[in-house]
Amino acid sequence: MAEHGGGRGDSAGDKAREEFFSEAQEIVDGLSRDLLALDDVSRRGGSDAELVNDVFRAVHTLKGLSGLFGAAMMSGLSHELENLLDDLRLGRIELTPQVLDLLFQSVELYGRILAAAKGDAPEPAAEVKGLLSALGQVAQQKGGTVGSVVAQYELDPGLLGVLTEYEEHRLRTNLQAGLSLYRMRVQFQLSTIDSALDDLKGKTRPHGEIITFLPTGEGGDAESVELEILVASRAPISTLRGSITGPNIFIEEVQRRDAGPARRASVPPAHARASDAPGHPGLAPVGGAGTEPPPPDVLGEESRSPTSEPPPVTPGPSLAIPAAPPAVTGFGVPPAPSGLPGAGGPSGPVPGPAQAGQAAPSPGGRELSLRSVSQTVRVDIRKLDHLMNIVGELAIVRGAVAKLQERVRAQPHLREVATDLHRLQRSFERHLGQMQNGILEVRMVPLGQVFDKLARIVRQLSREHDKQVNLVITGAETEIDKLIVEELSDPLMHMMRNAIDHGIEDRDERMRVAKPAVGTIALNAFQKGNHVVIEVEDDGKGMDPAIILQAAIRRGIVPEAEAREMSAKEVLGLVFEPGFTTKDEATALSGRGVGMDVVKTNIAGLGGVVDISSEIGIGTKMTITLPITLAIISVLIVEVAGRTFCMPLASVEEAIVFDESMVRTFEGREVMSQRGATLPISRLAKLFQLDGVRAGVWINEEAKTPKPPEVRPGARPKSYCVIATVADRRVGFIVDKLVGQQDIVIKALGKSLKKAKGFAGATELGDQRVGLVLDAAALIHEVLSPTEGRFAAGTSTSTSLEAPRPRAELGLRGQNEEEGHL
Amino acid sequence: MNNPLAQRRAEGRSALQRADELGKRAEFLAFLLGSEAYAIEIGTIVEILKPLPITEVPRADPGVVGVMSVRGRLVTVVDLKRRFRLTRSFSMNKKSRILLVDAAGEQVGLLVDEVLQVYRLTEADIEPPDVLGNEQPAHVVGLGRPTGGAVVLLLLDLAPLFSD
Repeated sequence: MAEHGGGRGDSAGDKAREEFFSEAQEIVDGLSRDLLALDDVSRRGGSDAELVNDVFRAVHTLKGLSGLFGAAMMSGLSHELENLLDDLRLGRIELTPQVLDLLFQSVELYGRILAAAKGDAPEPAAEVKGLLSALGQVAQQKGGTVGSVVAQYELDPGLLGVLTEYEEHRLRTNLQAGLSLYRMRVQFQLSTIDSALDDLKGKTRPHGEIITFLPTGEGGDAESVELEILVASRAPISTLRGSITGPNIFIEEVQRRDAGPARRASVPPAHARASDAPGHPGLAPVGGAGTEPPPPDVLGEESRSPTSEPPPVTPGPSLAIPAAPPAVTGFGVPPAPSGLPGAGGPSGPVPGPAQAGQAAPSPGGRELSLRSVSQTVRVDIRKLDHLMNIVGELAIVRGAVAKLQERVRAQPHLREVATDLHRLQRSFERHLGQMQNGILEVRMVPLGQVFDKLARIVRQLSREHDKQVNLVITGAETEIDKLIVEELSDPLMHMMRNAIDHGIEDRDERMRVAKPAVGTIALNAFQKGNHVVIEVEDDGKGMDPAIILQAAIRRGIVPEAEAREMSAKEVLGLVFEPGFTTKDEATALSGRGVGMDVVKTNIAGLGGVVDISSEIGIGTKMTITLPITLAIISVLIVEVAGRTFCMPLASVEEAIVFDESMVRTFEGREVMSQRGATLPISRLAKLFQLDGVRAGVWINEEAKTPKPPEVRPGARPKSYCVIATVADRRVGFIVDKLVGQQDIVIKALGKSLKKAKGFAGATELGDQRVGLVLDAAALIHEVLSPTEGRFAAGTSTSTSLEAPRPRAELGLRGQNEEEGHL
Repeated sequence: MNNPLAQRRAEGRSALQRADELGKRAEFLAFLLGSEAYAIEIGTIVEILKPLPITEVPRADPGVVGVMSVRGRLVTVVDLKRRFRLTRSFSMNKKSRILLVDAAGEQVGLLVDEVLQVYRLTEADIEPPDVLGNEQPAHVVGLGRPTGGAVVLLLLDLAPLFSD
């Protein structure tokens, strides 16, 4: 977005902008969640005023923010949306699927506007314009408001006169929905009125909605005030009286002028839920009566209670006219609370995250206080990285202290000091461990953050594709490193697209094979040891290995001869190959042959693995296994030619003793048999050109010079084969020694080492020594790529043979000469 | 083709321009690479370190010695001698130092054979690089001749060395 921060080159401006982005993104995410919830409620024929309010507030905040940052496009969009939402919450227009679509579209556009502002994408100017005009059209269709249900109640016209438009709308809606109206009179001490009122709201919320509260003007004194509070609720008065207790609280039902006893009987106790679900699930369709709200006068003088003076509302006698039972059940009120959001567990697209997510508002009291409801801080992840580094330094200090303690212990006369030192050191170690865990915990965010976005995409895709899909999410509360969550959205989105496009059959087809018309995609997440597993499972038609194989052969991904020997699992793995697609024509959804290979690459980049299993006619299940955090990983420390390397344990299948006699060679590629399967092997020393004398570069007077690598064909030294697996591809890496297993803090290599491929980073191993962490995915890919391996040991380029690796930077000088020398 | 080169040149001279702004004086740290004396502007140097254990990084550029950890931070160590093709072999001894510098947004360690001293150079003390010939690499910004000294310093600008 060009209008963004033009001329704001200074770092303060940049920082502010960055915060604007992250805050706006957060709001948009929350918006998306609320809309999904709203969609869910409305599909059940209900409505939720609180949700509409949340959406309204979010849009309002966005408008303010974008105004502040000169983001004109966002601000314009927000302005129109705000109008729409205002009409919506005041009941001037209905929450139709069409309106919902517009709202979803706007979330989509917000995302794109934000991306454009960051420079990641072009501005969606045309789309915004389109949406704005669509919003304008909806605004034209405002219906009239509903008539005078309110007039049937024993309410003071003075009171009605001071209700805001919104309160009036809520009152009307609730009454139409058949809720009972209660009047509470509560005396508050002025000194504690804030917290007492919040408390009261909290107690009331489970049972119903507070429409309004006004001072009664009586019963108070200098220190206290009496409020009259109107509450709409489904619960019988006894429930309210039972749960909203306290001194000076008086509750009564506001009687219908014409209902009386008949009404009370009509409120089934089943509706007295204890959950905090919004108490008005049945927004009656608006516009049915099409008349204006009653002017206060209509209620007439006789309703005015004789005892009250200023805004005087007191109990009146109930006039029993049996003709009007709550005429509301016909409006599609869900019969039981189980159909409400938040009550159904994993049954809908809106499970836990709305509560678990960082944006979850605390119930009650949020309209009164300006204090922020959220108890959270937003932290740049780099700051956490910095903290993590400091912890790493402390770990080194700990090592030094341990050594010192050894030395002290060696002095007999200092034994006492040694004991004290030991105790201190133990305590230091413990706290350090806690600190490390604490920082890691802070980095953790629930997967719900990305799942929410997926729910939106699935909704959109299933509409576009005219397939009904029910997304069932479980385990959204599973936590994973923030960095990983960020990287997960694209791969998961591709998987959703594939499930909808290729997996779920269209309706007719599903009918034909006797499956439920609505397809199901299950998105499950759970923690398994140090890993998080995410499963995407559909109940579609499954993947036919024969078709996949055909497509792969047709596209030249696999030679026909080789294809015949592939196992079913290997065949399924072909879908992760670049360029693979079974479709001859790309659909809007997928089939362009990009997607699954991106999934694989992205997941592998996170140190994760994708597995696929499928049964024809039953469905397909993809399983992603990821490390919980990128910052701390478990590694297997190995030694090769005197150098130390770390192999992420997540990629290690097993390590076995290696014997040269196991090796067979095909076209220069070395393989061995392992459990009846062929395992390509790669000698790390050769792969990294460590066999030569290049060791000269690792020198320090104090540090030990690495031992020269043992000479091969002579007395064959013992070595090991570390079998690494990434996404079903396996390679055995031959190393000299297995040193052990360790949890390490991984750090990125500087950009001047970007060209040294095959390393995920480095870590400090103690003694100030740095160990390189291998990038298993990249190395496996390199070893298995067609050109690698055909070059025998003789060729000595220090770079890998993988093609696109320009060496421009230093290439001008000395490279060849240098290597010739080495 | 010519333009970017000229631009880099111009950037390379920024050290001199800054020297102008600072009352026509700038401080340079002089060090030895083999027997040749070089100097870089002192502002770019974060710290001078005694050699720490360095871990070789396979497949890195030949001028790169490896990585080391400086108080928990990973630093890539570059051997300027090999970078400038003054030598092919690697050597390190008691006088060797690693200059921790800020170069193109990354902290890099420069392995040098010996650190000499800081020189304050006036504009008059600095000769333009073309006295060495017309086509000098962009990182050579001039020759320093401190008054009263016999030493001649090759003044370096690090930015062109470490930006792509």
